[in-house]
Amino acid sequence: MSAFTRALLAARRNPNILRIPPYLSALCIIVGVVWLLLLPLNEYSRQTYVSENALLPGQVHTYFGGSEHNIFRAHRHEVFGLRESSMEERNQRLEEIFKDAGLKVARQKYEYTAAGKTISGENVYAILQGPRADATEAVVMIGAWKNMDDVINYSGVALVLTLARYFKRWSLWSKDIIFLIPPDSTLGPTAWVSAYHSTNPFPNISPLPLKSGALQAAIAIDYPAGPWGHRFDKLHVLYDGANGALPNLDLFNTAVSIASGQMGLGCTLQRMWKHNDSYQDRLVTMLRGMVQQGLGHVSGPHSSFIPYHVDAITLQTVGDGWHDEMTLGRVMESLFRSLNNLLEHLHQSFFFYLLMQANRFVSIGTYLPSAMLLAVNFSITAIVLWVQSGRPAKRNDLTSPLKGKKTIASSSSSKEKGKEAGNENDEGEEKEDEMTLIVKSGDLALVPTSTFKIVERNMFLPIALLSILHFLGLMPLYILNHTPESSLPTTTAVLLISTLALPPLTTSLLLSTPLHAQLTPRTLSLIQSLSLLLLSTSLSTLATLNFSLSLLLGLLSAPLSFIRPISSRSSPKLLLSVTLLVLTAPPVVLVVVCALVDGTWQRGWSKVVGKVVEILVRASWGWHVSGLWTQVVVWLVWWPAWWIGGVVLGCGLFVKDEREMDKVVGKRK
Amino acid sequence: MFPILFLAVCLILRIQAVYAIADYHERLLLRPLPHNSLLASFNFRSNASSVSFDEQNFRYFPRSLGQILQHAHARELHLRFSLGRWDSENWGARPWNGAREGGTGVEIWAWVEAETAAEANARWLTLTNALSGLFCASLNFIDSTKTIRPEKTFLPEGTHINQSMRNLHLLHGTLPHEVVCTENLTPFLKLLPCKGKAGISSLLDGHKLFDASWQTMAIDVRPVCLSEGCLLEMEQTVDMVLDIDRSKRPHDNPIPRPVPIEQITCDTSKSYSSHDSCYPLRKNVEPSWSLAEVFGRPLKGACPLESGEASSTVCLDVPSERSVHVQTDGSHHESKLNDNTSRCYKLPVGSNLDLVLPEQELAAQPSLAEPPLYASRSIVGHGQERGGVQATIINPTNDTANLVYLESLPWFMKPYLHTLRATVLTPGVLDMTQHAIKETHYRPALNRHRGTHLELLLSIPPASTLTLSYDFDKAILRYTEYPPDANRGFDVAPAVIRLESQSSGQTFLRTTSLLLPLPTPDFSMPYNVIILTSTVMALGFGSIFNILVRRFVGADEVDGRSKLAMKVLAIKHKARLLFGLLMLKIRGKGRKAE
Repeated sequence: MSAFTRALLAARRNPNILRIPPYLSALCIIVGVVWLLLLPLNEYSRQTYVSENALLPGQVHTYFGGSEHNIFRAHRHEVFGLRESSMEERNQRLEEIFKDAGLKVARQKYEYTAAGKTISGENVYAILQGPRADATEAVVMIGAWKNMDDVINYSGVALVLTLARYFKRWSLWSKDIIFLIPPDSTLGPTAWVSAYHSTNPFPNISPLPLKSGALQAAIAIDYPAGPWGHRFDKLHVLYDGANGALPNLDLFNTAVSIASGQMGLGCTLQRMWKHNDSYQDRLVTMLRGMVQQGLGHVSGPHSSFIPYHVDAITLQTVGDGWHDEMTLGRVMESLFRSLNNLLEHLHQSFFFYLLMQANRFVSIGTYLPSAMLLAVNFSITAIVLWVQSGRPAKRNDLTSPLKGKKTIASSSSSKEKGKEAGNENDEGEEKEDEMTLIVKSGDLALVPTSTFKIVERNMFLPIALLSILHFLGLMPLYILNHTPESSLPTTTAVLLISTLALPPLTTSLLLSTPLHAQLTPRTLSLIQSLSLLLLSTSLSTLATLNFSLSLLLGLLSAPLSFIRPISSRSSPKLLLSVTLLVLTAPPVVLVVVCALVDGTWQRGWSKVVGKVVEILVRASWGWHVSGLWTQVVVWLVWWPAWWIGGVVLGCGLFVKDEREMDKVVGKRK
Repeated sequence: MFPILFLAVCLILRIQAVYAIADYHERLLLRPLPHNSLLASFNFRSNASSVSFDEQNFRYFPRSLGQILQHAHARELHLRFSLGRWDSENWGARPWNGAREGGTGVEIWAWVEAETAAEANARWLTLTNALSGLFCASLNFIDSTKTIRPEKTFLPEGTHINQSMRNLHLLHGTLPHEVVCTENLTPFLKLLPCKGKAGISSLLDGHKLFDASWQTMAIDVRPVCLSEGCLLEMEQTVDMVLDIDRSKRPHDNPIPRPVPIEQITCDTSKSYSSHDSCYPLRKNVEPSWSLAEVFGRPLKGACPLESGEASSTVCLDVPSERSVHVQTDGSHHESKLNDNTSRCYKLPVGSNLDLVLPEQELAAQPSLAEPPLYASRSIVGHGQERGGVQATIINPTNDTANLVYLESLPWFMKPYLHTLRATVLTPGVLDMTQHAIKETHYRPALNRHRGTHLELLLSIPPASTLTLSYDFDKAILRYTEYPPDANRGFDVAPAVIRLESQSSGQTFLRTTSLLLPLPTPDFSMPYNVIILTSTVMALGFGSIFNILVRRFVGADEVDGRSKLAMKVLAIKHKARLLFGLLMLKIRGKGRKAE
């Protein structure tokens, strides 16, 4: 151990060691990305399996069929007949249908305001009290009146009504089953589930008049076929929750294994309509899943349940095929029979995973290192910058070994007898360097005085700057979440321009104040070091909560760990750094991504603006309704880090040369 | 033994039977409820005179239970096994006004005679352990953490002499997670004189009983003193609500397959009605049923041990227009009661009897008694740290309801009494600050020793809703304290509500039990591996980082410090040394003084 320690101590004096970290950082990024690209391979991903033994997916015979089909069609006609009636009339009729089936029905009103709009609605839900249940546990079946694409979910709602009537006849339910019909796919379920779990802290949501036990799982149906039906090809399983939380993998696996194993119904995910199990398809599925998770927005009626630790998925029908509503009904029957078997809350399987196919996944242990490596790259740079900021400013000493070689004291005893300081001016070559003579157990040694010099880091300016810039991140966060939709394009434009203008403005502000005397390269690297350290800690913490968001932000802010103050104004490095910085500015990234998605840029500038506004509106709704914190990360972590990167680059052009600074300091002394 | 006779006790049974010392009565009440449900209420009552009981001379009273009561000095015992919940919105008032039912799982309370509280606890433990063996239930798990001593909620039903009342200790325990099953029914039936072979108890089949929408089994033992002398009365009650459709399904084909389309009456008035679309018409007829269909076996005549010639054993609460066919080989006797809505049958001895009610459309639905209170309770909040409980009690009547609300909470659920809020909502009255809580009895929990006991005296104005809420903290258990199904959550016993009414009988109401999710460690192997690996990595990283970043400087090398500072440091050192010496001396002196 002591030899190891000595080697480490020797290594830290080695000037060459400071050259390695930038390469190490780059290596971390490259390995992180390559790691991610390796995941879809068979060797790194795993076949899914049902971990909870109690679920027994697909082990029961399903009986939904026969005359139930006639009843389903009648219900679909009933639902179709309600398409133009008001919400009040519609809920009245739905309530009657539920009551006919012998269930207890209740309604709940809610109202939400965001992006300058107020939306109100009313949920209607029915509770099937399990004949042997004691109201301690419940499972939810959701059929939102309108799905995420704002299309009326005729067959989905009709299926919920039919299944409610059909389930009532069974005596085997050990949990209550709640049938929920919200008017839309985001606000209604959120209002319902938040009222279910709270006394009534929100004045805009009325409390639930009827409750059951602890929610164990929720399954939503999205089947918008009209009164004449539509035969579908596959089930699209949606599983992303708000803020990138995922349901237990067992629930997803159960649905997939019942649909594909028992009913012969193919399953697909992340809008991959065609998936031929190739490397490329797996990778694209995984990346789409990561973008979805990273954005953290609500992807279906199930998403609102996941923050309350209620595992939930949405089953969506896609394509043209030969499966009809009865197949979907039997899938639901089998799925609810499986959930009914549950003895404990779903906990056996993974909560953190990336899916690349309906039956392949990678678990957190395998994928986490890639995001962590990206975060570590910032830590490495931060440590280097920290060390640099504490080094004396003699470049010669750092780069070349000592020229004035004398005997170097090498004594085994650790006791140091004394120290004499003196100027050795008569050494011809070493006029600038002050040397110190060390006497140690009889040996003499000449050591440059600079190595003894203690460099105090001035922490005030860096910390103050960092805190102020991070605090200012609250401004765009507040503005974007409280701007009405109509003025969002202007706001975005202002934000874009001001973001790009902020680093130069801050630089000139800093230089015009008395503070500029303190702006040495050393301070600059201290500022950058602290900023990167903060970024790295935030990202590695985030990686355990929302891996995808952390990875995406890590990639987008990767240039920040390579930016260094550049003093020459004509250097190609400067141009490169500025270009990279501009390209990775948060608002620029938003606009560029919106332009690139689905080739929006080809259809004109107004489409791009429309897309940007759409995303910002969704983010605003997410902030007000489902407590989305993607914006918080963007504006309070990424944006200030980027800003500081720009400031460091800008100040680098103006700060005085190190030696000049030293002379100034010397004169003062 | 009792020297003087006291009050006559008013019984809850409608028929006032004449008491004879040591007799046995049984009675079955059947009442069709809306939504194809049928309430079957079995009641068995056996007596033993206290003289014969003390001499261990048992006839109808079961010896097994009698000896346990004597051994544990239990003077009055109430034991409940329940499953499911009573749907008071559809089914109206509860049978026996709720006095013969318990919360989900097992509930037991008893008056135990003892000189001290410690002795009472010991006898209570004896009682629960003995009953646990008798009823094949986990009653032995009712330890001090699940036992409370209610102050106001339960009143003794029997006659206790004042003198001995002082030495009577009321103890109450619940097991909300206990699953009641056939293994509890068998010992229950064995306590009966006819043991399920004859009489109404021959209808009690485990399959049907536990397929019921709601069922409760009760045993009540109490001393009763009449003019003839004192006796010990035991009442066994089984109440259940059967779903007629479900119960009628044959044993060999219990699956509710979709019925053929020909058997469904479709609503042809719908515009879309066609051969492939059928909106089922809601039937407004009373379903047909018979005893043999609903209970899965016929009624095997009267129990010959039943005393009293004129007693009618099976009573049916149906309107007079409903036709009832009696099928039996023996002789039966039908009697209509004065209110004309119930008819009773005297059973033949030795031959089967079946009551058959055909499908019939009734002119008027029989009205159900309105329940005096509605109550529901739920857990609010999410997360691992804290939560809240919200109970809603509705008083639909036109009188002020005075009630006692009892909560027995496990120790790992730590309520904050200062957050206890009772808000009364009366339609048309804006004043929310009415003082609903009249009195509070609170005994806080002790970790791992006893649970919380909270008893509130509440008063709800007419036609008002009372919302009771409080917050609680979730305790973190030791890892050995988790049950095997740790992630299921922990059951919290139902709240017991007793309505204080003028009438003699007691009106009880129980909420459903709650499931409390506690912070649960991940008991899986990968988690342990992750923790271990992280610890090792943190240790390694920490030490290397420390060496890399720390600056090693000798104390005398530091030229940043002035000589003055060094002197100060030296003085400090000396001072500390002196102080230490001084302390040593003082201590030494102290020891000498001792």
